[in-house]
Amino acid sequence: MLNLFEYDFMQRAFLAVIAMSLFSPILGTFLILRRQSLMSDTLSHVSLSGVAFGLVLGISPTLSTMVVVVVAAIFLEYLRTIYKDFMEIGTAILMSTGLALALIVMSKGGSSSSMSLDQYLFGSIVTISSEQVISLFVIASIVLVLTFLFIRPMYILTFDEDTAFVDGLPVRSMSILFNIVTGLAIALMIPAAGALLVSTIMVLPASIALRIGKNFRSVIFIANVIGFLGMVAGLYISYYAETPASASITLIFVGVFLLVNLLNKLRK
Amino acid sequence: MRYITVEDLAFYYDKEPVLEHIDYHLDSGEFVTLTGENGAAKTTLIKASLGILSPKVGKVTLSKTNIRGKKLRIAYLPQQIASFNAGFPSTVYEFVKSGRYPRKGWFRRLNAHDEEHIKASLESVGMWEHRHSRIGALSGGQKQRAVIARMFASDPDIFILDEPTTGMDAGTKEDFYKLMHHNAHQHKKAVLMITHDPDEVKKYADRNIHLVRNQDSPWRCFNIHERKEEDSHAESI
Repeated sequence: MLNLFEYDFMQRAFLAVIAMSLFSPILGTFLILRRQSLMSDTLSHVSLSGVAFGLVLGISPTLSTMVVVVVAAIFLEYLRTIYKDFMEIGTAILMSTGLALALIVMSKGGSSSSMSLDQYLFGSIVTISSEQVISLFVIASIVLVLTFLFIRPMYILTFDEDTAFVDGLPVRSMSILFNIVTGLAIALMIPAAGALLVSTIMVLPASIALRIGKNFRSVIFIANVIGFLGMVAGLYISYYAETPASASITLIFVGVFLLVNLLNKLRK
Repeated sequence: MRYITVEDLAFYYDKEPVLEHIDYHLDSGEFVTLTGENGAAKTTLIKASLGILSPKVGKVTLSKTNIRGKKLRIAYLPQQIASFNAGFPSTVYEFVKSGRYPRKGWFRRLNAHDEEHIKASLESVGMWEHRHSRIGALSGGQKQRAVIARMFASDPDIFILDEPTTGMDAGTKEDFYKLMHHNAHQHKKAVLMITHDPDEVKKYADRNIHLVRNQDSPWRCFNIHERKEEDSHAESI
């Protein structure tokens, strides 16, 4: 077997996971603290209808997914405000809507598109194109710059929205912007990670970091480090063990999550 | 100086009014308590006064500036704020420090003066030695004190407090009322505090706004009965 870096597609795959590890744990940390950890799952499902629209209409699935996911992210914020006491209702409604739309659109689209939809469902990091890698680094830069600039407001927003409002923060606009950026990130990650695993990759490194870090910044930093190590290790293992990359990455995170919780328990 | 003016405010949940014909004001230099039976929409009134909830009827005017002509700053202590998510990743110091951002500017570096202010805020509620603890690991009373320290760190012109003494022992409550009285009378801050123990705070407060049920209304709806604390010791403390 050749060294894995001798293949162009593996080089691209490694660059893709590095880009994703720069931003997905950050977004995941905010999602968990805002009690929206299911949002990534929801937007992943909604994105399937975006993919379906793209394939059926013959336009770039990435572009159609981005549009659909951004619209859904804004709508989700609206649902979150009208069902303030039952925030998960919005995510449940959108998840069903996304899947239903995807199925109906695909049923009208002919058989060739079902293969592509499979690819979007389970991801195919080794077939990722250079353009997709670049777009992942672009969204990584956007998330990193926004996090650097807005970490203080995000701290309060995630702690308590009423306090954030009285502190003079534009709570609604910030929430919508956050949802849009998260939506875009998810839309761009889906070709690499697959809709079913985007949620895990965003939420698990952050969940592990929350068990380790003592303060806000350290949690974000630890989530990024875990995200990076887990994704690179997962890709390595998947190459040599010939297992699906996104599933391998996810199982590594699950393993670390269990280990950290076990160590925490033993320490007590 | 008048900081908050509420005129003929009414608030509805769906189509049922819970507050009607509400007129009240809050001035700098006064400590006002807000009372009423359970479900008297006290929290709703506070939230509507702050703009967190939008009333369908009536007018709320918040002064843009404080008595020194600077931008008016408000600190709001929501009810049961201390029952926040125990897993929230923050040390006590980081949390209290965050109270400084709105005053200092969200993007500006805090200086030695800010750090001193944060330290003084933590010391005023006896939480300095817990500054490195994770907020989720604190007891209920300590959480409440951490939240109050954050409020002091923000050095606001108006304190809006929704049952701030929940979980405090009698001595700590008394100290807190004295501190609020001191802030109102010595530093010309305005304090509006929801309480279930009006008698306990009576000697420190200047006025009490009491929400009473409107018996003529078919709804369970409240309006204001206001009294000045006749036997208030406020001026002499």
